[in-house]
Amino acid sequence: MGIVLAVLLIGGVVAAVVAGRSSEDSGTATKTVRGVIGSEKAEFFEDPDVVKALAAKGWTVRAETSGSWAMEGLDLRGYDFAFPSSQAPAAELAAKYKVRGTLPRPFYSPLVVVAHKSAAEVLAGNGLATLDEGHRGVLKMAAYLDAARADRTWQQLKGAGKYGELTGTLYLSSTDPETSSSGALYLAAASYVANGGKVVASAAEVGRTTPLLHKLVSVQGAQQSSTDAAFRDFVSGAGNPLVLVYESQVASLLADGQHPDDLVVLYPDTTVNSDHTVVPLTENGQALAELLSTDPRLRKLEVRHGFRPQGEATGFASDTSYLQQELTGVRQAPVPTSAVLHELARRARG
Amino acid sequence: MRRHALAVCLAALGLLTACTAQGDGTGGVPTPGVPGPAEPGTLRVLASSELSDMGPVLAQVEKDTGVTVRPTYVGTLDAVNMLAKGAVDGRYDALWLSSNDYLRLRPEAAAKVVSETPVMSSPVAIGVRNATVTRLGWKPADVTWSQVEQAVQDGRLTYGMTDPARSNSGFATLVSVASALSGAQSALTDADVAKATPRLKEFFKGQKLTSGSSGWLAAAYGRRGDVDALLNYESVLKGVPGLTVIRPRDGVITADYPLTSLKSTNARTREDVRRVTEDLRTEKVQREITARTHRRPVVASVPPAAGLDTARRRELPFPGTRSVADGLLDSYENELRRPSRTVYVLDTSGSMEGERLDRLKSALTDLTGDFREREEVTLMPFGSRVKDVRTHVVEPSNPGSGLDAIRADTAALSADGDTALYTSLEKAYDHLGTGGDTFTSIVLMTDGENTAGAEAEDFDAFYAGLRGDRRDIPVFPILFGDSDRSELAHIADLTGGRLFDAQKGSLDGAFEEIRGYQ
Repeated sequence: MGIVLAVLLIGGVVAAVVAGRSSEDSGTATKTVRGVIGSEKAEFFEDPDVVKALAAKGWTVRAETSGSWAMEGLDLRGYDFAFPSSQAPAAELAAKYKVRGTLPRPFYSPLVVVAHKSAAEVLAGNGLATLDEGHRGVLKMAAYLDAARADRTWQQLKGAGKYGELTGTLYLSSTDPETSSSGALYLAAASYVANGGKVVASAAEVGRTTPLLHKLVSVQGAQQSSTDAAFRDFVSGAGNPLVLVYESQVASLLADGQHPDDLVVLYPDTTVNSDHTVVPLTENGQALAELLSTDPRLRKLEVRHGFRPQGEATGFASDTSYLQQELTGVRQAPVPTSAVLHELARRARG
Repeated sequence: MRRHALAVCLAALGLLTACTAQGDGTGGVPTPGVPGPAEPGTLRVLASSELSDMGPVLAQVEKDTGVTVRPTYVGTLDAVNMLAKGAVDGRYDALWLSSNDYLRLRPEAAAKVVSETPVMSSPVAIGVRNATVTRLGWKPADVTWSQVEQAVQDGRLTYGMTDPARSNSGFATLVSVASALSGAQSALTDADVAKATPRLKEFFKGQKLTSGSSGWLAAAYGRRGDVDALLNYESVLKGVPGLTVIRPRDGVITADYPLTSLKSTNARTREDVRRVTEDLRTEKVQREITARTHRRPVVASVPPAAGLDTARRRELPFPGTRSVADGLLDSYENELRRPSRTVYVLDTSGSMEGERLDRLKSALTDLTGDFREREEVTLMPFGSRVKDVRTHVVEPSNPGSGLDAIRADTAALSADGDTALYTSLEKAYDHLGTGGDTFTSIVLMTDGENTAGAEAEDFDAFYAGLRGDRRDIPVFPILFGDSDRSELAHIADLTGGRLFDAQKGSLDGAFEEIRGYQ
């Protein structure tokens, strides 16, 4: 229902905005900016309230989605901005299109694991996770990586026998680290833990951590290319019971009025934030980035879609039965340099 | 060597086997062809044939968005191959396959994708005749692939499935079965496949029906009556009356139908794709999808249609490398499945002289790249009577010699005489005798009407007199030149075959399409 309405409203607003240009209606000249965004931000830009808030400032945004690392392969001539979901691909795009200056990072979102209740309970019963009240918990990354190293299967875990679907190797599903940001960030977090709480930098450290990373990826078989697809599959009940997604995707679902009973959000005790980073390709793109970072109305809407605006600790996550208000007990692993991350992804896949 | 042959034949398939969807049942006529020119407001979509049931939903989407979706149906592997080779660029505006799992294994193809959005889902399942479920004493919620395997081994269960090389449902089934029976705890490896081969061989002895499309499979199953089960997507099986649909407990592979936009298209086209995708994921349309097609919604607020069991199943990982996926396919075709025996009844009457005969020769020669090991191929050229009967087997130890012999016989074909169509068909049935442990069928290629020998009524009577296995042998007629559509459609209907159209499309394309049914 909400979405039907949204689509109708988007149509209506766009029509109104376009009509406003040639007739009496609005005094503000409307500028259309075109951009390529990570799939997890599609719903934000489609939200009629976001469309309205942008229109009120004189902007119409036309966005299409792409895997963050795949944006490099697109011809971005004629576009005003690219908006990948982390810094590393943004930095590469900036270099490619000779964009100078600090790249704006309007908001961020940590990687979390969505789990079916049964899976979360079994992890907790075996010391791999702790569960809070309701639908929230913490995944112990070091313990999980130990299990992965040992090829632990669900059958070997206490209490899994009750659940027919919990068989086979225990693993987190991620997206393809070579094309999608969240998959690469998973490797960033895992390599940080595997490297004894240090960001991987040297060739020796790369060599030491890749066997484990390769294992984390190869057990999954074919991987999704976007977090949106991975999350959709999870929601529809298909796929692995443990899937890495962005916190914002869960928050967005909750904001939509959905409260799936069979969903537990596990915050990895060491995770990585995706810093949604704008690469302005034109002045209009730069202006839009500015607006996303500073406009109070848009910042509020960013929160509604589950993003955490930079420099704002409070006011996030109304639904604390699933989400953490503040990221307590969650360590942010720094992300390796782009070159190292690429190398980790390549070796993990290879 | 074998893998190479497979790659070549898939490459040859590229442009040929795309076919529009008119009718998927017995007597349906696929029309190999190319999509039309780009039109604003219309999306030319290269789609899996399983999506042919989405017509009414797409009509709704058109109402909502003003965008017309014009699908061209093709096998998943063919589609991925076309994409990788650049044959999709500029011809299609989007891709909509049952799954992009295989696509992801091909970097050249994956590089052409901009975004993909799952629209609905359906797991692989086994649909078993209600009476058979009772006879086997199965509790549907508890059945495992190993139990299915056991029933096959005990000779208590036979089944049909689609050809994994042509249809995504067959491919996903093959991977599900291989993953489950190999005991692999994570994504399949080459070693897992090798280890599972003996068990898989046993398992595929139970396969009595093969098909290039899910629609024809269901029709053939209904007609046969002696096949106990079908392996396919849950959504397909739910549409077949009298089946208990079982999702094996030890895991399935699920299709998630991602609507996929392409780099080769412009921003406006991709915007249309986005709008269609968005509409498909509205609650209203999701409800319609699950009610009409028995697929599962991907929106949390819409429950699956009544009758779709919501108990969870393990998702078996899809292979992560092309070598595993292609290797599995290769061993299915050449080693695991029952071999096929086919008689090609070829019109070489006087009217074939010249360009038509040249096209036949070239199409047959190309086809030799696609024959599988252990396959028995009989060429039966006819004019006023059967001119010759030449049988060759593609021996695994030396596949080249059988194929060379088929090519030599093809090169020697010459055109003369009348068209003794029915007499020749009867000879083909006589030649095949009983099928044994093979998929047995007849391909009939003619460029004109019957002008000599037995008449249509004689053939009807001949067919009515057939008993046992021979009655199950379908004829796949190919419309070519001036052949008569109603005459050939009748033969297809009578024998449970399917008509293929090489008048609109190409003869090569028709031969290739038929491979899925052999």
